[in-house]
Amino acid sequence: MEVLDYIWLGVQAVFLGPEAFSVLGLPISITILMVLAGFLVGIMVGATPGLAGPVAMAISLPILISAFGYSEDALLPVLGFLIGVMKGATIGGAVPAILFNTPGTPDAYMTTLDGYPMTQRGQAKKALRIAHFSSASGDTFSDVVLIVCAPFLAIIVEAYLDLPEKTALFILSLSFIAAVIGGSPAKGLISTGLGLLAVYIGTGEDFYPRLSFGTEQLASGFPIASAVLGVLVIGAVFKGLEELWLEKRTSGNIAVVQDSGDQRLHVGDIKRLFPFIARSAFVGTAIGALPGIGSTLAATLGYTLGKSRHKKNKEDSDPNFGEGAPEGIAATEAANSSVSGANLIPVLSLGIPGNAAAVFLILAAESIGGFNPGPAVFKFTVDEVNPELVIVFGLFTTMFIANGLNWTIGGIFMRSMGIMIRIPKHILLPIVLLLALTAIYVQETNMAAIGFTLAFGVLGYFMRTLAISPLPFVIAFILGDKLEQSARQAFAATGGDPFFLFTSPVALVFMLLSVGVIIYATRKPKANS
Amino acid sequence: MLKSMFKATVAAVAGLVIATSSMADWTPPGPIKLLIAFRAGGGADTQARLIAEELEASLGWKFIPEQVTGKGGVNLLKALSGMPNDGTAIGMAVTESLGYNLRSANAGLTAADFTGLSTTAGFQLAIVGRTADGWKTMHDVIAAAKEGKDIRFGSMSPRLADMAYLMEEANGVQFNVVAYKGGKAVLDAINAGDVDVGFVAGPQGKGVAAGDLVELASALSKPLNATPDAPLMSDLGVDFDADGYFVFVGPKGMPAEAQEAFGEAIASVVSNPDLKVTKIINKVFGGATTIQGTELDQLLQDGYEGAGALMEAVNQ
Repeated sequence: MEVLDYIWLGVQAVFLGPEAFSVLGLPISITILMVLAGFLVGIMVGATPGLAGPVAMAISLPILISAFGYSEDALLPVLGFLIGVMKGATIGGAVPAILFNTPGTPDAYMTTLDGYPMTQRGQAKKALRIAHFSSASGDTFSDVVLIVCAPFLAIIVEAYLDLPEKTALFILSLSFIAAVIGGSPAKGLISTGLGLLAVYIGTGEDFYPRLSFGTEQLASGFPIASAVLGVLVIGAVFKGLEELWLEKRTSGNIAVVQDSGDQRLHVGDIKRLFPFIARSAFVGTAIGALPGIGSTLAATLGYTLGKSRHKKNKEDSDPNFGEGAPEGIAATEAANSSVSGANLIPVLSLGIPGNAAAVFLILAAESIGGFNPGPAVFKFTVDEVNPELVIVFGLFTTMFIANGLNWTIGGIFMRSMGIMIRIPKHILLPIVLLLALTAIYVQETNMAAIGFTLAFGVLGYFMRTLAISPLPFVIAFILGDKLEQSARQAFAATGGDPFFLFTSPVALVFMLLSVGVIIYATRKPKANS
Repeated sequence: MLKSMFKATVAAVAGLVIATSSMADWTPPGPIKLLIAFRAGGGADTQARLIAEELEASLGWKFIPEQVTGKGGVNLLKALSGMPNDGTAIGMAVTESLGYNLRSANAGLTAADFTGLSTTAGFQLAIVGRTADGWKTMHDVIAAAKEGKDIRFGSMSPRLADMAYLMEEANGVQFNVVAYKGGKAVLDAINAGDVDVGFVAGPQGKGVAAGDLVELASALSKPLNATPDAPLMSDLGVDFDADGYFVFVGPKGMPAEAQEAFGEAIASVVSNPDLKVTKIINKVFGGATTIQGTELDQLLQDGYEGAGALMEAVNQ
């Protein structure tokens, strides 16, 4: 088995996998169909203010698992769908941002700054085309970087990191995530700590289920889907309902501006935009590779960098950033879209999720089984096939199918999505709530799970009210078990050395960085002010 | 002549009816909750789900599979013990869950609180190492440990960790016993070089056949299929073995006809060589073993009692 054989097997696993139906004798694999479905759903939810990719992923995951079952054949269709949603939502988010000055996803906020002024000038279609082109370019670039980097990173990790170093790496990533998500490291640490506390209920090595107060409901721990959906989705719904209740509904009239002038994207436009797209794609990819930072910061950084370049190079007649400059849209969209691919680098090579979308990919892999993202996946075994590696290359194939869809039909579909803004929130939110609870029940088939989900929803609501980001909670919940296991293993493997985290230089560096990143994040605001 | 043929036919038909009637006599009063003690997607989980699928197809019984993982199957047993014993709730675990694990959990339950339905397969439980390390049997590993090499020993359950400990005691060496969840995780750790040797119960087959891995010892009371020459636990100074089976159980006091119907139905699935599940069992677990009825109840009871002896030996 050579590397090329694995790539080929991965491609085959997608195209020749279980077939949905055949057209003129040509079998269409279910995986391709699921990528398409996910991509279209993704664009729709991305274009709907109040929904985002992770919400759709959260709700569809349990339903998909119950439909496809737990066999290895289920992995690629389910993961393909989720990847489709992830990519679709990224381009969908720009639609309401450009057309109605309302970002569909938080990372599209910067797109409103130049997108909406272009719409007001009658250039809506052109703005959408620029957003789509930049987004698809950034996304594709990021995927290429992922495919090139992830295997090497995994092999380095596997070759040089022993059990204590792996434990230290988990601690470092949790500390990093706590420090960078949500602005305040203290709040980040609270969120992380709550996540760890929740995941450690009922689990552990001992036969007595710890922290369960002797109750049977807590003895097997919280179902992972309850915790993740509860805090991320139900919490957001509760918060949304509250906001709806507080705000007087603004008048529903949406101004429609007639398009005027040339709406096409010319080669000259692309040439002019290219430096902005390239720069933002690099920024987004670099940020995406670090766990936890996310696409909103990437968009902000890409926009800011683009702005300073534009100031120097623009002609006097060109609009400034913020006044409807096509370069502004390009810089933002290329940056926020190039996060998604690179975000899978830590997921696949370390098993560490960096954002909400990655959380659901890991969740899918863990729920279905047979694929455990982490350094062991990238073992290029020669004598026998490593099935997990085939799945990885299958995954890469689905990403490129999604990119292909993005380049071909994505733009057309996206430009028809302006209608999604008309869905009123007071109808949307209860539907999301109902769907999420149904999804939980489908997967867990017991009422206790529903109760837990609602309780986590209340927790998520309060966290949002107190401006504590729920994402560190979720990531800590997912990593908590791995962290405990690797810590116990490292402790045992070193013959019970209590200082196992500090004896090897690599582990020591990771531990110092874990403390350092928190201190640095705490001091930064003071330096600025 | 004709008359006797007719008689024979009647007798044959009657015989058939009688033979099938014990299975047809009992039908579950509703959908059956199937609790599974293993991580979704693993070999054991697949086995449980495939058996359920086959029973749905052949008998029309309806199964609702549900994962109740954790605590080496004790979580499942606790959940199962509170469920109705009319055949609408059964669980799949391993015999160790009802033995060592149940006993050390001290959960107020014993093996007698469950009705044994059928085992499906035993394990090819071996101590596995990498061929590249040059060890041929566990004796070589012990010799290396005596020379001062740190040996990391992967284990997937406290019972096996106890056995590793007894092996240390008997041979005057010390291992660093590292706990993993499931044999597949131990195997990954061996392949990744995180541990030197470890207990694996089946998934090592491919690697052993390919020559990358070596079975250094059998953890069973009998030799391994792939490496019959590997020393047994008794050759290594340990008086215990880790024989064990996948087992379907129900709550205490299930009706005898339900117990029998499940036993027969499960046995008929895992002994049918054309089915996918049987192929998996043959490949990974070295073939089906169906122990049922009073023999199974006795096996579970012995496992529970025997666990006490192992714990005592460790604590001495």
